[in-house]
Amino acid sequence: MIESAAGVNPQSTAAAALAPCKLQVRDLHFYYNGFHALKGIDMDIPEKKVTAIIGPSGCGKSTLLRIFNRIYAIYPKLEAKGAITLDGENILDPGYSMNRLRSKVGMVFQKPVPFPMTIFENVAYGIRHHEKLSRTDMDIRVEQALRSAALWDEVKDKLKQNALGLSGGQQQRLCIARAIALRPEVLLLDEPTSALDPIATGRIEQLVEELKNEYTIVIVTHNMQQAARCSDLTAFMYLGELIEFDQTEKIFTKPSKKQTEDYITGRFG
Amino acid sequence: MQADQGANALAIAQEQRALKDANHDLLFSWLLKACALLVLACLLGAAGATLWGGRHAFGAFGWHFLGSDAWDPGNDIYGALVPVYGTIATSLIALLIAVPVSFGIALYLSEVAPPWLRTPVASAIELLAGIPSIIYGMWGLFVFAPFFADHIKPWLTDHLGNPPPVQVPWGDGVIPFTPWAVEHVSVIGPVAHLLHKLTWAFGQLFTSDSPFGASILTAGIVLAVMIIPFISSVMREVFQTVPTRLKESAYALGSSTWEVSWDIVLPYTRSAVVGGVFLGLGRALGETMAVTFVLGNAMSLSPSLLDPGASIASTIANQFSEAAGLQKSSLMALAFLLFVVTFFVLLIARLMLRRLALKEGR
Repeated sequence: MIESAAGVNPQSTAAAALAPCKLQVRDLHFYYNGFHALKGIDMDIPEKKVTAIIGPSGCGKSTLLRIFNRIYAIYPKLEAKGAITLDGENILDPGYSMNRLRSKVGMVFQKPVPFPMTIFENVAYGIRHHEKLSRTDMDIRVEQALRSAALWDEVKDKLKQNALGLSGGQQQRLCIARAIALRPEVLLLDEPTSALDPIATGRIEQLVEELKNEYTIVIVTHNMQQAARCSDLTAFMYLGELIEFDQTEKIFTKPSKKQTEDYITGRFG
Repeated sequence: MQADQGANALAIAQEQRALKDANHDLLFSWLLKACALLVLACLLGAAGATLWGGRHAFGAFGWHFLGSDAWDPGNDIYGALVPVYGTIATSLIALLIAVPVSFGIALYLSEVAPPWLRTPVASAIELLAGIPSIIYGMWGLFVFAPFFADHIKPWLTDHLGNPPPVQVPWGDGVIPFTPWAVEHVSVIGPVAHLLHKLTWAFGQLFTSDSPFGASILTAGIVLAVMIIPFISSVMREVFQTVPTRLKESAYALGSSTWEVSWDIVLPYTRSAVVGGVFLGLGRALGETMAVTFVLGNAMSLSPSLLDPGASIASTIANQFSEAAGLQKSSLMALAFLLFVVTFFVLLIARLMLRRLALKEGR
């Protein structure tokens, strides 16, 4: 609370009372080809909770998520300024190893994107990059990951088949398995259900509920009901700024900002 | 009543319209079918015509035509071994050089290069693909072959070639031995003997007495330069079709650019890449002018890549205007063999792709 005194929006840290802070965002600015996409974000994301980020298209919510694992850095002309601290270390520091960051912060994308290989290899691929495991250890790890992603029972007999043969919802759970196989600490979900049907969406939401016991989850979503259903905290962003960040219940029942209320009640967005 | 009539007229007009559409579609589908069949007819016609033209040669020499390295217009004896070997050897050398280089070019342009550099370089590559082969031939003859003879060939002969052999009795025959092996002959066991034979065979590839720049290796290198633009522009185009989100998910797992390229981009585009490679190979197999200039046109079989040779296309180009009778028929038979070689190459490509697909579990 002491650090929040100087210039930091008290709104952003109010939620931190819930649990120890895992990701601390301070005065984060992002420039896309000179365009000022994020304008001074301050945010404390608590450990082992689900934090949802909502807002109209183009508000910068996906941009923010893509900074947490520095995936934006594979493109030229993108620049992030400010600080994001993960367990006390600034991940925007050029000296912070990309390898280490990506083993600590996993990401699942909008559309399911299995790699063009077998189901087993899809999960084993990332592990192999970070660790040398024996065959049996690898088998165990892959099974664990698939079990945590609630996919094991459906694929255990066809691990050697191509992952492209799975249904959309199964593919997305495979992508989650692939991400948690690395045993990350933070899991970023970028509109993970936007390409799925309601039943598959329900399974993913249920999975998010289970996974939050072990991982700090940040989920970007277009779907306000989804945010209300499965998150502990909700951040509302608008035009590159963080308007309000609080407990989900509070955001959806008595938001303190007019803009938040307008968005939630469907008056704009 | 009037409204009824109006509706009736409309229904008739609609029916006519539907009938007309159906006729148009039928006509269109026949037209398309004719276009497709034309390609097949051309292929079969060309293969049939060369087979028919070569019937005297096949009749006179039978299977021996394939296995014989004789090409003697004086005595009217012909065999296809030298040109077939030359065609395959030059094309394989070209692929060996062109595929890795093209892969590098395409990866650089699609994954690594800054955006402002991509389009100009890609256009330059497409321009290269448009240069007529006679120009590559001239460059090969006047520039590359002399350079090859002066600098590359001596180096290859000195470092990889065999020194003049010493004949040593071994078992019930005499085998050529390197001076090194002669010195150690007392300790050479059967394994070392085999090893020696293999290195000797490898050395033979780079041992040559000919002082000229024209050789199978020269032709292979010139061919590689010619097919690099084809292969690399096909590869670049298909690499660009890989969805961004697929690459991003691999980066998000911590992969490096090389790993993303090798593990994700290449498998995703594999069949198109193989297609591009075989497009280049097809061009290399049939290339005539450039190869004729730098291959040396020697109708003799040599184990060395540094000796001149002949390819099917260059033999035909060199001899067709003066050939008659059995020689002309033999050239036709060679042309037919080029069809066969190309067919088998494509067949192998298909089988390879199928095996890879099985391995992936598709």
